[in-house]
Amino acid sequence: MQILIVLIPISIILIGIAAVMFLWAVDNDQFEQLDLHAFDILQDDSTDDSGESP
Amino acid sequence: MTVSTISISDMHCAACANKIRSALTLLDGVSATHVNAARRQVLVEHSESTNPTHILQHIEEVGFSPRLSGADPSDHAQRALLKRLGIAGLAMMQVMMAAIAMYAGAFDGMQDMYRRLLELSSLVFCIPVVTYSAMPFFRSALGALRTGINMDVPIAAAIGIAFSASLLATISGSGEVYYDSVVMFTFLLLGARYIDDRLKQRFTASSDRLAALPAFGLRMAGRTRERVRLSDITIGDRIWVETGDQIPVDGRLDSASATLDESILTGESAWVERDRGDRVFAGTINSGPGFAVRTDTAFDGSRICDIAALADRAQTANPPITQLTDNIARYFVPAILLIAAATTLAWMSIDPTRALGAGLAVLVVSCPCALSLATPAALTAAMTRLRQAGVVLTRSDLLEQIPKLSCALIDKTGTLTVHQPRLNAITLLDVEAPPSARDTYLDLAAALQQFSNHPLARAFPAPQSATIDSPEIVPGAGVSGTWHDKRVRIGRNNFTDASVSSSDEVPDDQDIYLSIDDQAVARFTISDPLRQDAGAALAALQALDVPTTMLSGDSEARCAALASELSIDYISRQDPETKLRVTRELQQRGERVLMVGDGVNDVPALAAADISAVVVESNDLVKSKADVLLLSRRLGTLVDLVNVGRKTYRVIAQNLSWALGYNLVAIPLAACGFVPPWIAALGMASSSTLVMLNATRLLKVPEFDAGATRPPTQIMETG
Repeated sequence: MQILIVLIPISIILIGIAAVMFLWAVDNDQFEQLDLHAFDILQDDSTDDSGESP
Repeated sequence: MTVSTISISDMHCAACANKIRSALTLLDGVSATHVNAARRQVLVEHSESTNPTHILQHIEEVGFSPRLSGADPSDHAQRALLKRLGIAGLAMMQVMMAAIAMYAGAFDGMQDMYRRLLELSSLVFCIPVVTYSAMPFFRSALGALRTGINMDVPIAAAIGIAFSASLLATISGSGEVYYDSVVMFTFLLLGARYIDDRLKQRFTASSDRLAALPAFGLRMAGRTRERVRLSDITIGDRIWVETGDQIPVDGRLDSASATLDESILTGESAWVERDRGDRVFAGTINSGPGFAVRTDTAFDGSRICDIAALADRAQTANPPITQLTDNIARYFVPAILLIAAATTLAWMSIDPTRALGAGLAVLVVSCPCALSLATPAALTAAMTRLRQAGVVLTRSDLLEQIPKLSCALIDKTGTLTVHQPRLNAITLLDVEAPPSARDTYLDLAAALQQFSNHPLARAFPAPQSATIDSPEIVPGAGVSGTWHDKRVRIGRNNFTDASVSSSDEVPDDQDIYLSIDDQAVARFTISDPLRQDAGAALAALQALDVPTTMLSGDSEARCAALASELSIDYISRQDPETKLRVTRELQQRGERVLMVGDGVNDVPALAAADISAVVVESNDLVKSKADVLLLSRRLGTLVDLVNVGRKTYRVIAQNLSWALGYNLVAIPLAACGFVPPWIAALGMASSSTLVMLNATRLLKVPEFDAGATRPPTQIMETG
């Protein structure tokens, strides 16, 4: 079970990375529009003048 | 560097957002833009020298209607709360895993080294939770030293004491640690706060949308259009409204037709068609080709401004419910602190090793949040839900009274009906006339009526070929004129000398007669059609045990016909005094009366009724007496009102009984030492979250659907 002495510090570091990523995500508006992106699929592509087939 | 918040109500999608963003990056002095399409807001960072008006104009040029709005302080706060919640959640997962290992170790035996290792890792994860995530509780508890005790005092005390005791135990290597309880407690409490925050945000967003008018209008001067500020638009201006733009000021349509999205005012998403001369309202969105509007109100006198002002009243008034919250803080919280202290002291003399644990358990297990947060949250959710259906409450304590309603009085003209008269039948009185005379008479009547400003005149179509010379309006009677050298008149029967009405028909006020050379030739029967879902809505109200009685100034016969069609009671020939008397008599019999009306003649009854609802077409005086404003053209919103009101009452009752029962059971158990701190933390925090989630159910009360085959009572019970 000595492996815990290595694994627990590693888990602390990994969680630290996850926490930093989470804070970054909040600051970059990743949680701002939770209900809107579901409708993006219905949106026409803005570059529709590139000659797509009908 | 300054930041301007700009609301853009017609920014609906990511494509619009991109368009705005790319337009603004080209602008001098703008360093960054953040677009939030969900809130329809843009945050623009720009240098001090750049005038925000300049930015607004730029957004206008790419085809949107921007409006400068104050910075939204709740935005920043909510982001911080989400961060705190996320950190607490991540930490909780780790501490819980360590806790499971430690509890297992306590039973099966565990080497001291591993126990210390797990304790240390729990401590590492607990530190950010206490110093960062739980900071709002500490700050608020510190503030309580100045402003008076609040709910956060026992929370902060519990977190602080539990963490310090655990820290001491870890350092000294002996004693109980409570890291798991601290982290879980903080996480679940923050979760409840987060739900509360989201609810409030949804509500303010719905209010903001009411106040969102474009900053500019396009005034037409001859062949040119100039962009003018909203406040520079005056009565009588011709305003051009482009496709996709909001109408800036109320007015009458000055183009042939228009297609409008009036959902902001009515809550109905279906587009409506308007014809020349129809009133169109500020805030509604042009969904068809561009059109012109002749304004007939000042820029701040539009209907949407009135509604926003009334809706604000509900928010600024201090409802009794907040007093409840204050009382809980004033009596419940000190009581908890005393009980916790007493428990600790008592255990000191019984078993000092358990004293801290028991005192902490009392502090943690008691749940003032469920008592105090849950009720305001339920009210906010219910008001948001009603606003979606186009029902604006002007008093927030109203929701508690709705379940007590036992009957409804409804005015006929303009409330039960749409107040748009329609030509129902044409009867030829001249027996020798050929059937083709019908069209001639109709055209003649239409030509005469175009000079009238009586509401009933709107029932007639535009004249085709008939022309009237020297028209003359006789107030209160009708219109007369000359047609092919014959004297023609239209109006009431006494005006046209039409004493010929056949005896087998009911004499009716709403019949209009046409006479040629004092000989009555045709009778036009005009009716005011019912609102589309009137029958279904009143039946649904009846099913909800709110029977409806129709009050009308009309004749007995007309009322009877309508009432039997709707299968409701009626009282005919009413004037303002008798309407008031009917309301009072019902109240003396112990009934709680909902009065629904629209006209000035309803005002006394509206003021006397327990709850008054008015339709939005009413004038300002009537609206100022209203508790409830019905923005929709559907009467089904009355059913929504009763449904949501009753459900709110149920949710509040459930929440309060749960919170009371929980506290009554949990606190004595904890004081007796039967509740370990981690169970206390779980019980308290999950009961906070539970009542908040229960409140959010109100957002999902199904809307009344007139076409639904199921009776509405069933919808309510399964919902």
